[in-house]
Amino acid sequence: MVSAAKVLQDLRASAERKPDVVVRLGKPLVESGAVRKLDADAWLVYEQVAIAALDTGDDALAQKCIQALEDKFPGSARVRRLHGMQLEADGKLTEAGEIYKAILNEDETNVLAAKRQVMLLRAMGLPSEAIGALVKYLDINYTDFEGWLQLADLYLDELMYAQAAFCMEEVLMLQPQNHIFHLKYAEILYTQENIPLALKQFCRVVELCKDHVRGLYGIKLCTSRLLNAAPSKSPAATSQEDLTAIDLLATERLIAVYGSGAAAAATKAVSTKWIENL
Amino acid sequence: MAVQQSPSYIGRVVCFIGFLLLFHSGYSTFEHLSYLKAIDGHESGLPLDIVIELLASVALFGLGIVLVADDFKEILMETEMAKQSIESLDARPSFYSFNHRGRAVFRNVTLRN
Repeated sequence: MVSAAKVLQDLRASAERKPDVVVRLGKPLVESGAVRKLDADAWLVYEQVAIAALDTGDDALAQKCIQALEDKFPGSARVRRLHGMQLEADGKLTEAGEIYKAILNEDETNVLAAKRQVMLLRAMGLPSEAIGALVKYLDINYTDFEGWLQLADLYLDELMYAQAAFCMEEVLMLQPQNHIFHLKYAEILYTQENIPLALKQFCRVVELCKDHVRGLYGIKLCTSRLLNAAPSKSPAATSQEDLTAIDLLATERLIAVYGSGAAAAATKAVSTKWIENL
Repeated sequence: MAVQQSPSYIGRVVCFIGFLLLFHSGYSTFEHLSYLKAIDGHESGLPLDIVIELLASVALFGLGIVLVADDFKEILMETEMAKQSIESLDARPSFYSFNHRGRAVFRNVTLRN
């Protein structure tokens, strides 16, 4: 039981979305009442299991968790938001929207409810309204990188790459050490055909995360595009010699990552295991 | 997930000896002071053997802690980030959407260990 609580805590910290794991570990905890032994953590586990249960469609478990939270914190905005999410999962989007609106009417600085409203509009199939709501939210909470990231995502759905790139620039200002965000930005730039800047961003990814394969492939894509195009006249452009050198280096690293005996054996072991489990 | 190293037993023994020496020197100090009180002597400072014992315990503690401590971690945040998966770095828990296949997939499935 202790180890299940530890795994749940690790999942809460890492924010990975693994509802099947959470339900499998959390269901016995909630149903046997052992969760109460976790003291203050118990309520976080209830919330975590409730959301995971909504993800996997285990409505009875979700109801049980939300009821427990409701009994402990009557009238709390965070619990009402869970109620709203329950309605959302059930497809009752209008009722969910009313809950969020009521929370925001009482306290217009409730960021959780504001974010839910954005996702509600998206679920309703109103992407431009969702973008508008999120832009309004970010106007006030401009240091929320999650919000910028989500806005970039919404813009990408609409194929608005320039706006998405702007959002990723904001994210990079707030979280400069996260290589995944640099990778996203680089891939948006590549899609926009802004190859020279994309190359720099892909290089940054590899700088932040050694031998990042997706970054290395990005570098190779950019260098081959630039080498095949007519040489740029601008003095700021990377010279042909440098591009060839970068291309060679990326190839060398990719061969080192995939070609070494240990790596090949590890890949083989993983794929064999996967095939055997089919 | 950090790999758990096997604990260094030598380091722990060294720490324990250091603790015994510290305890003993403390006790000796107490005894020395009560002796001074008994003979009404006025003397500042402690006898040399107690001071040496104390310094030896500090040295042993230092050595023991260095042996017991785990490997150093990189000070840069990037190296910690590089170990994490894209699912965790790109997760946005407050923007969950329930408009997905999870309900259909998991409804009639018994989850196995």
